[in-house]
Amino acid sequence: MASSEHGATVGGKYLTFGLGEEEYGVRIENVHEIMALIPVTRVPRTPDVVLGVINLRGKIVPVFDMHRKFGMPATVPTRHTCIIVVSVDKMEVGIVVDRVREVVNIKADQVEPPPSFGADVPTDHLLGIATSSGGARLLLAIEKVLATSEVVSVTSAAEASKSAA
Amino acid sequence: MAPGDTATLTGLHEELARWISTATLEGEVARIATSARDLLAKALASPEADRAEHIDEAARLLASMTSCEPALQEAPAAVASPPKPAEPAAAPAGRPIVDDGFEIFETGTPTPRNETPGATMTLASAQERELMGEFVVEARQNLADAEAALLELEAHPDDKQAIDRVFRAFHTVKGVSAMLGFNAIAAFAHAAESLLSRIRTGELRCTGRNATLTLRAIDALRGCIDGVEKSLDGTSPLELPGTLAALIGALGAPDTGRGAATDVGALPAIPVDVPLASEIAGTRVPGKGDGDSAWMRVRTDRLDRLIDMVGELVIAQSMVSQDPVLVMPKHEEFRKKVAHGAKIVRELQDLSMSLRMVPLKSTFQKLNRVVRDVVQRTEKDVRFFTDGDETEIDRNMVDVVADPLVHMVRNAVDHGVESKEERIAAGKPAQGTVRLSAFHSGGHLVLRLSDDGKGMDRKAIAAKAIERGIIRSDAAMTEDEVLNLIFEPGFSTRDTVTDISGRGVGMDVVKRGVEALKGRIETTTVLGKGTTFTIHVPLTLSITDGMLVRVGQERFILPTVAIRTSFRPTKDMLSKVAGRGEFVRVRDEFVSVFRLHHIFDIEGAEQDPTKALVVVVDYGEGRSAFLVDELLTQQQVVSKGLASSLLTVPGVAGGAILGDGRVGLILDPPGLVALAHQTNGWVNAA
Repeated sequence: MASSEHGATVGGKYLTFGLGEEEYGVRIENVHEIMALIPVTRVPRTPDVVLGVINLRGKIVPVFDMHRKFGMPATVPTRHTCIIVVSVDKMEVGIVVDRVREVVNIKADQVEPPPSFGADVPTDHLLGIATSSGGARLLLAIEKVLATSEVVSVTSAAEASKSAA
Repeated sequence: MAPGDTATLTGLHEELARWISTATLEGEVARIATSARDLLAKALASPEADRAEHIDEAARLLASMTSCEPALQEAPAAVASPPKPAEPAAAPAGRPIVDDGFEIFETGTPTPRNETPGATMTLASAQERELMGEFVVEARQNLADAEAALLELEAHPDDKQAIDRVFRAFHTVKGVSAMLGFNAIAAFAHAAESLLSRIRTGELRCTGRNATLTLRAIDALRGCIDGVEKSLDGTSPLELPGTLAALIGALGAPDTGRGAATDVGALPAIPVDVPLASEIAGTRVPGKGDGDSAWMRVRTDRLDRLIDMVGELVIAQSMVSQDPVLVMPKHEEFRKKVAHGAKIVRELQDLSMSLRMVPLKSTFQKLNRVVRDVVQRTEKDVRFFTDGDETEIDRNMVDVVADPLVHMVRNAVDHGVESKEERIAAGKPAQGTVRLSAFHSGGHLVLRLSDDGKGMDRKAIAAKAIERGIIRSDAAMTEDEVLNLIFEPGFSTRDTVTDISGRGVGMDVVKRGVEALKGRIETTTVLGKGTTFTIHVPLTLSITDGMLVRVGQERFILPTVAIRTSFRPTKDMLSKVAGRGEFVRVRDEFVSVFRLHHIFDIEGAEQDPTKALVVVVDYGEGRSAFLVDELLTQQQVVSKGLASSLLTVPGVAGGAILGDGRVGLILDPPGLVALAHQTNGWVNAA
């Protein structure tokens, strides 16, 4: 992403949440709802990242563990653990986070492009890093977070079964 | 119409002349109509090359009538679209009173769309597209009505109500397509309508070639409607079937019955001046409305969502009803209120399930047509009876059920029922009977198709199966098992089966279709007397009868239809092959056992089979057993694809919301077995 258009696209409202020690943000437009962690039905033979499925008012929605996603040990539920339901390509997906913080308005000029950590630490899924009084927040491009190999593979399988139906 | 088409021009002239003489015309209208008639007469008298001018002038005159007499718009509106004014649509429909009765369309001059059959054109504004969308739906309904009526008419050529229904359907399609500017469709419908009007007046009979012509016209109009629908997205141009022109020609040259003088002689002449309008006004209401209900079209996605939400409500309600708080004595009043709510929710659920149910009527109508076509082709004499076309089934299943039925009905007529000569030789009535009945039984839809044909010869089936390498010998097979061989893929080809049993063309396809619907099919046959197929399918695909099973701490749903039996095995019932493949003896049969906790890698499950349960499951061609910890309960669940959740997992057919609001996974036995083999291989390799 060119840095000139970078500023224009990253400003706006974000829902921020905590994962371990870090603070993340997702665009408020992507967020459908926030719910307490409810029992998740495990789906056999899916990657670790997939916690399972939940019943979201009659819809079956998959839930992903963001800890696993970012290579941390599996989430240990606490009373702050939440599921944020986000929409990715018009599909609803739940992500489990340690705690939900607040909705903040981030100005484009507060956002720095993600620094390069070399090939070992991919930063494709980051829109940028917002710096403010609250410290650094990693702004996620949620569609890219969930568009990595394992989700892509299950999505394409789902698409295939849909078109076959 | 080409200026050289003398027949059409003559017809046009006659129609106009008749209209002038039967309708009471006054003043300006009378003058214009007469001039137009004279112009057409002049055109007829002229050499072909000079006709166009006169025809154009006549069309202009007819068009100008639109402005002076609103009641007579029908006639001129259809012609008011140069540059093809001499379309057959120019005929003023002979009986303006008819049109007067219920014509609400055809106002003003339609925008001409320069479409020609087989050619393309582009479409218009969003608003127009919406109208066109409605037209598509209505026209399909009209054509289906017409088809049904036509088939009736063929059986009872003197059924005046039937011919009126056919006529009206064509007329409506014609009118609306003219209004929307689909002149080629309107012109074609008009050509068909002209033929029908000749049938209606008794000039022609609706039999043989004429009936076939009209049916073809219905098919062609369906093609047109499909074209319109495809063009609705606003990007694709309208494509019409290329056969329209040829068919218009054929419609103009019907079987006048002159070859068969007896036919004409037997025909009671119906005077032209019968007050048809009143007739139609009288028959229209009972013809159209199958009752008093008003109808409304609803988007299916909204309907599906509504049904989903009601399902959720039921679960939410049951969670409230089962709350321990309610049993406390001090909450007596509250308990009553909750019970009242529960009653309403139950009713709401019944109602919502019925919303998606539609009668089988349209499917049965299609089958009528199938029978007719096969009968025509094979020159057999077959009567097709249907019972229970009001039986309802989930809208999503209608088309899926129709496919195997079409196949089977065609088979019954083509191969089941013998030729007239064979029947007479066998001492049967020359006319064969095929009967299809539908009814509800035990939460299932039952479809029974029987014929009084030659039946199937088990010996011949077994011999053919051996020849085709499907079985080696039928020595150990029961009669039913032999009969079921007709469902084997590769059992039949057209000629071989026609020779031996008269059945079985693509019966494997039928069986697969029925199984896809979680249904089953039964066959009974008596040699020389006939064959009956009985199909049982669930009323809706979205509800699965399931057995909730527990494995460790996890629960799964096994479709009940697949479960044969379940039991706790004793040690001596179990055996192993090569130390790993496990088998269980079920009566005299050995069935492989797969441990669900192995396949799905579930911790905390019972390891000792003699303390667990074996569930024997039938699927496709096989039978397997799965080891589970416990059977919890049997319940109906609304199955939802996991596709909406991005996850597709082998061995899992979908998910459902269980009574406690959590998601349960519905197992897919064939997938599980495939998975088990795969897992075994993987374990061995490691």
